[in-house]
Amino acid sequence: MEERSIAICGLPGSGKTTFLAALWHLVTSREIDTALRFDSLRNGDASHLNAIAARWRNAMVQDRTTMGANRLVSMRLVNTAGTRVRLTFPDVSGEAFRQIWEERDCDVTVADMLRSGEVLLFVHADTIQAPRWVVEDTSLVRQLGLTTVEGEEVTWHPKLAPTQVQLVDLLQLLRKPPLDIGPRRLAVILSAWDKVIAEGMLPEELLEVKLPLLKQYLNQQSDGWVWTAYGLSAQGGDYDRLDPNTPLSSEAQAIRELDSASTRIRLVGNGRESHDLTEPLVWLLE
Amino acid sequence: MPEEAIFRCDNPDCRVEETGKCVEGLALTECPHFGRTSPVIGEPPRVDEREDIPERGLRLPSGDRLTTSAAASVLRAGDAHLAAILGPTDSGKTSLIASLYDLFQEGSVEGLSFAGSRTLHAFEQACHDARAASRRVEPSIDRTRIGGVAFYHLVLGGINLGLLNLLLADRAGEEYRTLADEPSIGAGFVELTRADTLNVLVDGARLLDSGARHNVRSEVVMTLQALIDGNMAKPGQRVALVLTKFDAIAESPLQKRVESDFNALLLSVRRLFGNSYGTVEPFQTAASPKSMAVKRGFGVAALLRFWLNQRLAQIPSLNAAPPASKRAIGRLTVLDI
Repeated sequence: MEERSIAICGLPGSGKTTFLAALWHLVTSREIDTALRFDSLRNGDASHLNAIAARWRNAMVQDRTTMGANRLVSMRLVNTAGTRVRLTFPDVSGEAFRQIWEERDCDVTVADMLRSGEVLLFVHADTIQAPRWVVEDTSLVRQLGLTTVEGEEVTWHPKLAPTQVQLVDLLQLLRKPPLDIGPRRLAVILSAWDKVIAEGMLPEELLEVKLPLLKQYLNQQSDGWVWTAYGLSAQGGDYDRLDPNTPLSSEAQAIRELDSASTRIRLVGNGRESHDLTEPLVWLLE
Repeated sequence: MPEEAIFRCDNPDCRVEETGKCVEGLALTECPHFGRTSPVIGEPPRVDEREDIPERGLRLPSGDRLTTSAAASVLRAGDAHLAAILGPTDSGKTSLIASLYDLFQEGSVEGLSFAGSRTLHAFEQACHDARAASRRVEPSIDRTRIGGVAFYHLVLGGINLGLLNLLLADRAGEEYRTLADEPSIGAGFVELTRADTLNVLVDGARLLDSGARHNVRSEVVMTLQALIDGNMAKPGQRVALVLTKFDAIAESPLQKRVESDFNALLLSVRRLFGNSYGTVEPFQTAASPKSMAVKRGFGVAALLRFWLNQRLAQIPSLNAAPPASKRAIGRLTVLDI
């Protein structure tokens, strides 16, 4: 059996756990044909994957405890040629990436996880923090007839950096000691694609418009990334919170009404659209 | 003696002892792991074994400005351009550096693309007071503090450029100001003798001041004279004479006078030092304008093009062999700061 590894990276709240939940449902339910198919549960502990997939099926958001830990999950899958592959996903917490950017420090365990295999980089397409400038914001405020407020200056902190700067830095660090293992394949997953689909852009176009620094960096190949981009709606819409006091939303209810949960998934990339979340994995494993 | 309050957690990934915050984002009173210590298995290690325990985290590159020795490594590694930016305090050196980086936040510049940087933290810090996240109502840039030279770093790429490292030397204006008093101290200003381009900033706001305008012109001439007399100027070194804060000039009734002063200064520099430098070219910039009268980063792209013009002609492809014998590293003294 072939053993392969794909590191799952992304800032906090970028959709990493939701991806794993949807993927586990997709391959185990066998509701639709996928490029990588489920093989077996042998020699593995599926409790974490089963738990997050159950929440995903119920259209409930993942709880923060689940998302806050670094985990190593694995799946036994089989490709279209019939080759069995044990695919391991080092699922690094968003907190670890915050620590890497802000504190320039990486836990030894996290470093080992990041040094394994190819890379799935998750970016929440609807919460990208673009750089904004004082002179433009102040002008806008004045045009709107509002008053500016003085004396509330904020001192610099790395967390204030634009999303694209943090992502570029992460990818650069993955190509420098102590995290470098040589050139790798990279799939940029623009999650919450349903939130930006109305903008009518393809994933690479969205990178160009909303993350131009990242797009330039990847195009210039200075660190040798072989990359592609996908738009992914792994939920199909907003899910309900776990808090029992929060009223259930009609959107989540509509998602639950779908007969096949796998059809919630929408993947856009490489010139096609499908429900098959395993396509980026197949591309990474080429 | 009372014990100090210590935060403990049995989650090995949690840094609550250092940060006071739960790694899972929970309130400390709600976290099931908080207040518990990790179980100890077996005997505690002997002292000598404890000393062998590795540090918990791996240190990563800092993202701060490069030291001279780190900059030397960049120059040694391949194609690079070193731009020295000279000017008195508050003439706009850091604004210029920050605005060049910020232009790439929105896309390619003059056909050149961002390809990487070892100093992203430093760039972000330099940009902060002009960014909305600072919650200022007027952009501001923190001045460089006295303490020697350090370098901002960019990797740029382009069709005719391949990949090129750009180093931007950053030194406090106060230190440059002493050059005209005592040119011999310039021997320690390694960035000047190694620079591919010298960028001499002419403070536009001071040119608007009737009292200060004459001193501005004098300071520029004396600085360039000091570089020659201190043997810091090299044959072929290219000079950009950069009129900064053009936004203030454009909004002033004294605009024509300032432009006339600047042109006169340019002619003087060319007449006095034309034989000592490769070329002297004028530029107007508004790196961090305080109003929308002039576009943010005005003139900075043209300056970048000037820096790299020779490179664009010299570098045929991405795979060109590093021109080791021609590199500036051959002239660079390695100094740790």
